[in-house]
Amino acid sequence: MSARYGMVIDLDRCTGCGACMVACAAENNVPALPPKATDRTGITPMLVHKVSNGQEGAEFREAFIPVTCMQCEHETPCVAVCPQQAVQVDPATGIVMQMPQRCLGCRYCMTACPYHARYFNWWDPAWPPGMEKTLNPGVSVRMRGVVEKCNGCHARLHAAQEKAAAAGNREIDPRDYRPACAEACATGAIQFGNLADESDPVSQAAHSTNAFRLLERLGTEPKIFYTSDRPWVRQLAEPHPARGDKEVKHG
Amino acid sequence: MELTRRDLLTWGGGATAGLLLTPLPWKVLDDTSKWTQNWPWIPQPSRAPIEVKRSFCTLCPNGCDLRVRVASGTPVGVSPGPQSALCPLAFGAHQLNWHPGRLRQVSHLGKAASWNDALAAFRKAAVEGPIAVVDAYPRRAGSSVMENFARRQGGTYCIILSAEERSLAPYAAWSGAPVTSLGYDFEHARTILSFGAPLLDGWGAPGRVPRLWSTGALKLIQVEPSLSRTANAAWRWIQVPSGSEAALAAGLARVLLEEHISPARAPLPPTTVAEAAAQTGIAEETIRELARTLAAHGPAVAIAADGDPAVAVLNFAVGSIGARGGIVRRREGGPSYLTADNLNGHFRAVLIDATVPWDFAPQADAEVFRFAAWNGGGSRAHWLLPAPGFLEELTDVPTAPGSAVDTYAIAANLSTPPADVRSPAGFLAQVDSALPSVEDIIHARCRELFRTHTGALQGEETVPVSRFAAPERLEEALRTGSVWVAGPPRSGGLRCRFEQWPQPTAPRATADWTATWVPPVLPPLAVKLYRESSLREPPAGRSI
Repeated sequence: MSARYGMVIDLDRCTGCGACMVACAAENNVPALPPKATDRTGITPMLVHKVSNGQEGAEFREAFIPVTCMQCEHETPCVAVCPQQAVQVDPATGIVMQMPQRCLGCRYCMTACPYHARYFNWWDPAWPPGMEKTLNPGVSVRMRGVVEKCNGCHARLHAAQEKAAAAGNREIDPRDYRPACAEACATGAIQFGNLADESDPVSQAAHSTNAFRLLERLGTEPKIFYTSDRPWVRQLAEPHPARGDKEVKHG
Repeated sequence: MELTRRDLLTWGGGATAGLLLTPLPWKVLDDTSKWTQNWPWIPQPSRAPIEVKRSFCTLCPNGCDLRVRVASGTPVGVSPGPQSALCPLAFGAHQLNWHPGRLRQVSHLGKAASWNDALAAFRKAAVEGPIAVVDAYPRRAGSSVMENFARRQGGTYCIILSAEERSLAPYAAWSGAPVTSLGYDFEHARTILSFGAPLLDGWGAPGRVPRLWSTGALKLIQVEPSLSRTANAAWRWIQVPSGSEAALAAGLARVLLEEHISPARAPLPPTTVAEAAAQTGIAEETIRELARTLAAHGPAVAIAADGDPAVAVLNFAVGSIGARGGIVRRREGGPSYLTADNLNGHFRAVLIDATVPWDFAPQADAEVFRFAAWNGGGSRAHWLLPAPGFLEELTDVPTAPGSAVDTYAIAANLSTPPADVRSPAGFLAQVDSALPSVEDIIHARCRELFRTHTGALQGEETVPVSRFAAPERLEEALRTGSVWVAGPPRSGGLRCRFEQWPQPTAPRATADWTATWVPPVLPPLAVKLYRESSLREPPAGRSI
């Protein structure tokens, strides 16, 4: 049976520590970029955004929204525009896989992605002398000039599949596959699971009344869900003209 | 047949159009994209198989449980243990040993020197006068070597208290118990009233309060002048002007004692509720309601982030001193240490351990021998001595500061240190050959644990110490990642007394984990938090 891996991120439990960002970078051999890198040119397949409710004084509150590839299920925008077939949705897992080896660096996918979850390698991957020994053997480094994004920690998925195959099983043990960001989350705000399995707590949480997805009206069916008890946080999921948000129109 | 210019153009156009219909150009494009991604200067990860080993983080005294993925003898990834959690910096810690700021050479006054030069200078200093030794993670085997050296040499061994221990200092003063033997029983508390302690942002082990808070079973009330990350996530944020925390604590204590809603008995504070309300700007009724909340949702405990006795004394009124869910004294007593703040007197030299924060500068006019794995720049030490880095030396991991139960673990060395690196214990052993080695002390501690037959080892499964047949077996289990955990703290094991209601001390700036981080450099991947996102402001004075 095909899985549909996804996440439910409880924004009320996210403290904005950033452990998921560092764990993601370490797992996926993302280099620390030169000092001129910024939040626009850096490579952060998992990026935690800080937002506020816009109030002042004692009413002021912040929330932290971890944003990664939303693993769109329907009419996946990046898949549709890639001229190199460097992006495809894995039918067995539902994960939108990026193959940097095929990427030409045209960046159509970055333009198409409504979540800004794709990153272009502006610099050669480089580490201080000797530090390349600490790279994760399961993940190859990406060259300057290609786009990358969250692949759902595919090295961990492959390891779980190999373990299952060695044991003569077709299905992986769910305990063997957990992306680095979910593993790193100290408060358990990031939960990872199979959305196609109704008995999975993550699938159940995705159907809770407080669950929502970013830009849901686009109809891309993201597999990353968020939950929050705070109405103002839930409202941030869609541009809100009354709040003064500007909706960008292209063409 | 005559070949015209028109024929050539037609042929050329047709050939181009035909070529585009073949796979050739697309294949060339595809191959070119692959070829240009495999330049020889692009680092390639090792192809060695990955082995998962258990160890403990030694970057701060919390000693978090680690699963380290090792390939070709080098750590290639760090994950938390099943019951643990890690701070953001620990996830990139395995790269720290190759940080450009890594110390690899002895230096004297900024110039390259040798270990023999350093040894000669230190031996000379040891002959000429007393030596002070400063340590930030006491009770390790390496700390015992340094402590022994200071005692045998006639010098002084002193420590730097962690943030958790600083907050416990008033109870140590009121009870006479060593501060290193006190802890918070958060696991049994239902409410924490924090006066500025960044409980969700690096105060204590990351797997402790944040995990308890995330279950929803713990009510966290944060008293702070501005909205910190902890205040933002707290069940309730009480905004008070800076410096008025003691007045709020006194007001709360007054309500608890006057209305007899707490079983505790303590002298009434001189501050009335009305005065507390005037100083804090909080309505009188709000203070009364907050006090009733503390009483209704017990066990409750108050934390004074900067160890202000005037705030800490609130726990008398709450009844949380020596009580379940409050401030407890652990079973294993610890020695009392002199703190580096109180290091007075004339010393010929000061030896600073690698665990001591980089910006620590001794007040004594002495020759400073500073061990460090990384160079944060701007050191005022006369001698900079390269020490082992992350997981490069065998060390034991004593109880984390502020823990309610005693624990003991051994962090295996999983990485080979550079050639010219020595630990302070190894250095001192060359000065005084009668000192015990770290290995000997660890053996002795394991034998002592075996002899007492108390507690249990928690690893893949929990095994009582009494089930081990020999101390060697116990040590073997500890070396492979198990943790010895003592029994629960003694009930009523902490009795405090104070003569008069304390006066507030000057408030100190609240610290988060970027300020209490010990190494002088940050893991390179931490730049993701600073440069490549807007999540955090870069820490002042830290090299990223």
